[in-house]
Amino acid sequence: MKQIRYLLILFLVTLHGIASAQDLADRVVEHTFPNGLKLLMIARDTSPTVAPYLLFKAGSVDEADDTRGIAHMLEHMLFKGTETIGTKDYKKEEVILAEIDRIGDALDMERAKGSRADADRITELEKALKAQQELAKEWIVTGEYTEIYTQHGSTGFNAGTSVDYTIYTVELPSNKLELWAMLESDRLKNAVLREFYVERDAVKEERRMRVDTQPGGKLYEQFIAAAFTTHPYGMPIIGWPSDIAMLNRRKAEEFFKVHYAPNNSVMVIVGNIDIEGTIALVEKYFGDIPSQPLPSEVTTVEPQQEGERRIEVEFDAEPQLMIGYHKPTIPHFDDYVLDMISAILSDGRTSRFYKNIVEEGIAVSANSVNGYPGARYNNLFFISGTPRSPHTTVDVEEAIYAELEKLKTEPVAEKEFKRILKQVDASFIRNLSSNAGMAQQLAFYEGIAGDWRYVLGWRENMYKITPEDIMKVAKTYFTKSNRTVGTLVKKEDTTSAGDEAEDYE
Amino acid sequence: MNRRISTGLVITTLMVCLMVWGIPSTFSKPHEELAFEPITFKPPVPEKRVLSNGLTLYLLEDHELPLFNINGLIKTGDIYDPADKVGLAAIFSSVMRTGGTVSREPDALNEELESMAAAVEVGMSAEYGTINLSTLAEDIEKGLEIFADVLKNPAFREDKLELRKQQAVEGIRRRNDAPIQLAWRNFSALLYGTDHPFGWYSEIEGIESITVDDLKAFHAKYYHPNNIMLAITGDFNTETLIPQLEKVFEGWVSTEITFPDVPTVDPTPKPSVNYIFKDLNQTTMLIGHFGIKRTPDFPDYFALRVMNDILGEGGFTSRLMREVREKHGLAYMVGSIMPTSYYTNPGEWFAYSQTRTDKTAEAISLIIDVVKGLRDAPVPEAELQRTKDSLINSFVFGFESSAQIAFQQMMLAYRGFAPDFLETFTDNIAEVTAEDVQAVAQKYLHPDALTIVTVGNKDNFDRPLDEFGEVNEIEIAQPAPPPTEPMPEASEADMAKAKEILAAAVEAHGGLEKLQAVKNMVVEARASANSPQGPMQVEGKSYYVFPDKFRQDLKMAQGEMATVFDGASGFVITPIGVQPIPPQMAATFKDAVFRETLWLLPNLSQNDIPIQYAGTEDVAGKPASILLVPQPSGEMLKLFVSEDTHYVVKLSYRETAQGVAVIRETLMEDYRDVDGVKVPHHVVQNVEGQLFSESRITSVTLNAELDDTLFQEPE
Repeated sequence: MKQIRYLLILFLVTLHGIASAQDLADRVVEHTFPNGLKLLMIARDTSPTVAPYLLFKAGSVDEADDTRGIAHMLEHMLFKGTETIGTKDYKKEEVILAEIDRIGDALDMERAKGSRADADRITELEKALKAQQELAKEWIVTGEYTEIYTQHGSTGFNAGTSVDYTIYTVELPSNKLELWAMLESDRLKNAVLREFYVERDAVKEERRMRVDTQPGGKLYEQFIAAAFTTHPYGMPIIGWPSDIAMLNRRKAEEFFKVHYAPNNSVMVIVGNIDIEGTIALVEKYFGDIPSQPLPSEVTTVEPQQEGERRIEVEFDAEPQLMIGYHKPTIPHFDDYVLDMISAILSDGRTSRFYKNIVEEGIAVSANSVNGYPGARYNNLFFISGTPRSPHTTVDVEEAIYAELEKLKTEPVAEKEFKRILKQVDASFIRNLSSNAGMAQQLAFYEGIAGDWRYVLGWRENMYKITPEDIMKVAKTYFTKSNRTVGTLVKKEDTTSAGDEAEDYE
Repeated sequence: MNRRISTGLVITTLMVCLMVWGIPSTFSKPHEELAFEPITFKPPVPEKRVLSNGLTLYLLEDHELPLFNINGLIKTGDIYDPADKVGLAAIFSSVMRTGGTVSREPDALNEELESMAAAVEVGMSAEYGTINLSTLAEDIEKGLEIFADVLKNPAFREDKLELRKQQAVEGIRRRNDAPIQLAWRNFSALLYGTDHPFGWYSEIEGIESITVDDLKAFHAKYYHPNNIMLAITGDFNTETLIPQLEKVFEGWVSTEITFPDVPTVDPTPKPSVNYIFKDLNQTTMLIGHFGIKRTPDFPDYFALRVMNDILGEGGFTSRLMREVREKHGLAYMVGSIMPTSYYTNPGEWFAYSQTRTDKTAEAISLIIDVVKGLRDAPVPEAELQRTKDSLINSFVFGFESSAQIAFQQMMLAYRGFAPDFLETFTDNIAEVTAEDVQAVAQKYLHPDALTIVTVGNKDNFDRPLDEFGEVNEIEIAQPAPPPTEPMPEASEADMAKAKEILAAAVEAHGGLEKLQAVKNMVVEARASANSPQGPMQVEGKSYYVFPDKFRQDLKMAQGEMATVFDGASGFVITPIGVQPIPPQMAATFKDAVFRETLWLLPNLSQNDIPIQYAGTEDVAGKPASILLVPQPSGEMLKLFVSEDTHYVVKLSYRETAQGVAVIRETLMEDYRDVDGVKVPHHVVQNVEGQLFSESRITSVTLNAELDDTLFQEPE
């Protein structure tokens, strides 16, 4: 009897859910250009604005040991202009840029010698570099590329680099879509990576800000490096300090040439647009960029973990905890089950972590995320927790394991499934309410899952999950030998200072 | 263009002019050839209605998606926090939601909302409070009913308040972890001082003093229909909705509210240069002074908007970003902020940067030069035009969603701004001149009167900060719980009565002579302790050498462990090695030996320790007299002596570990005779009112032969 009622409820929810997912399916318009560029569009007339997003399937996993950090560095450099923007005369500027590269290379090589470096030679090269940079200033128009967008009313003009991809984002008044097409295609065809070393300094500041001075950032970097011994997912996106110190324009241009191809990208335009006109516009500006053979995927496979790994990071801060379990990425069925598990554990105030760990006062926060740090390759089920004193990370860890054990032995209640599935369906409707949010989501699924329809299939798969699937998956992955645990520990003595040399140079 | 149209707001985004470029260009740039169709957009106007009980609504139907939203605004804010309970409004807003309603238990409320993928959330800002509902259109009726219930009938359950207070205390303990947070707290405190709500931050003592009655009083004071506005948007029908709203708010009436005075700060700048040590490779710096108080008649808003964009709020194209990051590579995050929303007091204006330690002074100088530049010379025409175009062209993004539109309209009314503020915005921006910008820079920026806060390691600074003024070094202490609770003033009678009770207890436990003869004690016990994973069995052996030595050996499933304290310092022995006990924990161990009854009773009888009687209370259903006793740490101990047996049946005291204070209780039963003195054989420990451990004593030995090495650190 119970079984029947359960099915009936699921069926009712399903009917409603299909309507919301169908709405999305009906609204996405797809177009593939001869050069392999894939364009996805949604027309919305809520306001005269548009969000054009451009994603390249090129992230930090696509780097080599001697170019680590280049995907992110290139993302910064693509804001420096083109042969016509950001310069008063590119022909004259070009000569100086070459000279800057030559001196910069020599300087990097000398600095890389560390304690054996010739200090006088470094000073000499620094002076020479400075002199050339001063000369270049005569031709460079700093910030012009950005200024054009800003003047035309852009918002959210930015970019982001992940392990898997790099995405370029902006929103504009919808009458400025052609400006975007022109500027964006110009930088793909004619980018000039000028002001490289100054920007490299800014990237070093970014690393200090995000990692070195942030207890959570520092812990995460060490944690992920411990979790992946072999696969590049263990490496920091921004690069280690010594990697950043050796990045140069040549490496960035090479990465750009190999990875930024129309057939390696996804373009999504959401907003107040005319579909046919938009296709024509994109054809006009991007149609002549040739397609090219694509670089190979990462073939290194993280070997099976053979025992628990534990790391500690000392910092002048209160304790934090991170736990990760290796698991397969999309579209493995277990990945969907782990999405469901993550919702059960930490979505909202009805979630198990919230009720049994946060409300019990053991932690001030406890969260799970399925799929760190990326989704192109097998990844981690990630859990983080912040203890509430007098509780320690040991207490939080125990409490988390207790919840994971429950998943292995106790079937998830009907009520919990129902609640999560309702939220899944609501998320389809809510996501449609923001141009930028929708653009980001479609770009991600098309670029990383290979088809934006993954998101529709995801919903169907969430509905297929049974209580038995949850128990089976929990037993398979939530094992001691499959986990990495990182804890941030308060550094007891913080009074010593002054002996730490500047770390990057 | 950008003319005001009487039927409502029309936003036109044609480039104001095809423009004068700042850079002499030897060739034309392709994008300059582009022409843009003007777009004329008439954003929908929310409809204002007032319910019969005085609740004001801004309604905007939007049928694109089956969603429904309410964004509510309440006239209140953190500014009304009492000085001795800073954080009250913030805690109030959390517990208003997490504490459930009179008829809905918190769990039930959460379950009901989340099972329909809906949310009700309550928030608090300095000068207003918020309450929001988000639900699918199919659940409007249920959503409204819950929303109204939370708004009208919050229950502020005690356990949820306690949880929120614990979380707030943890937040205070962690407030020095991130350099930006550390810098910000000190910056605003320096600016506003300690007697102004804008300069306050919560401390553990104030948080711990907040009660359920405080929250109820806060709700009773501000949460009335006449003090609330709701922006309602989404897939609904106004004429159907109004009666539904009347129904859910039925019986809820307007009440006149007297708002407390908010102190007005003396806006005279008090420049200072401040340094906070944190051993990091990057300096976080905040540089600024008071900002502006924007009342409806504030004259310089539009010129300031342009100036702030040029200075540091305009993202990548602002001067601070261009100079400090793009040209000098001295920061990733750099900019400035001048909030223009405060109406009770001037907010703050500040520039911020995070820069490698050995370029700290260089970055500060550069930032100050950029600020001076805006005062000293008019902005070049091209830069001015670009900034104005940017503000005018991006204005449309304030109207992307109906929720945004309705909220914006409501906020203007809340702040008392002219109703045509939005309609005339682009015209007003267009009129700003280079002279206006320079004038507001001179009026509102004071580079000669800056408060500078730096967090970093000065040993690696490029130059000492003295060049900016005398440096004030701020010591940051780990926030500790409030100082020990003082012993209350005692009357002669209470002190005399305490002595009588003590004398009776001494007799009951074996008499002074026998108690005095006890020099040490070894106790073996079996205990079950509560761990997050359930009960855990422990075997323990404790050694007490009076007056101050202590050792405890524990056997658990996980292994063996010993804790040793020799009267001055201590250590812990575990299977993986020996670790010292932090010196600040020493007081805790001294107190622990002090509390041992066989030592405590003769000690109190013979030595001059001030004790006092503080009434009676039932322990395990029987009356016991309470004696207040100061422990070596200064923390007060409550000693409960049974009126019937005169045994010590309970101890209660506060103990601080890792900066957090907890109340511990020890309940003692099953007193048995051991060599003529009485020793309890059943001991229960509670922490914060929850069972922590329960022990059965299996053996007690007095005056044992003890090896000195017991208290020495193993090789």
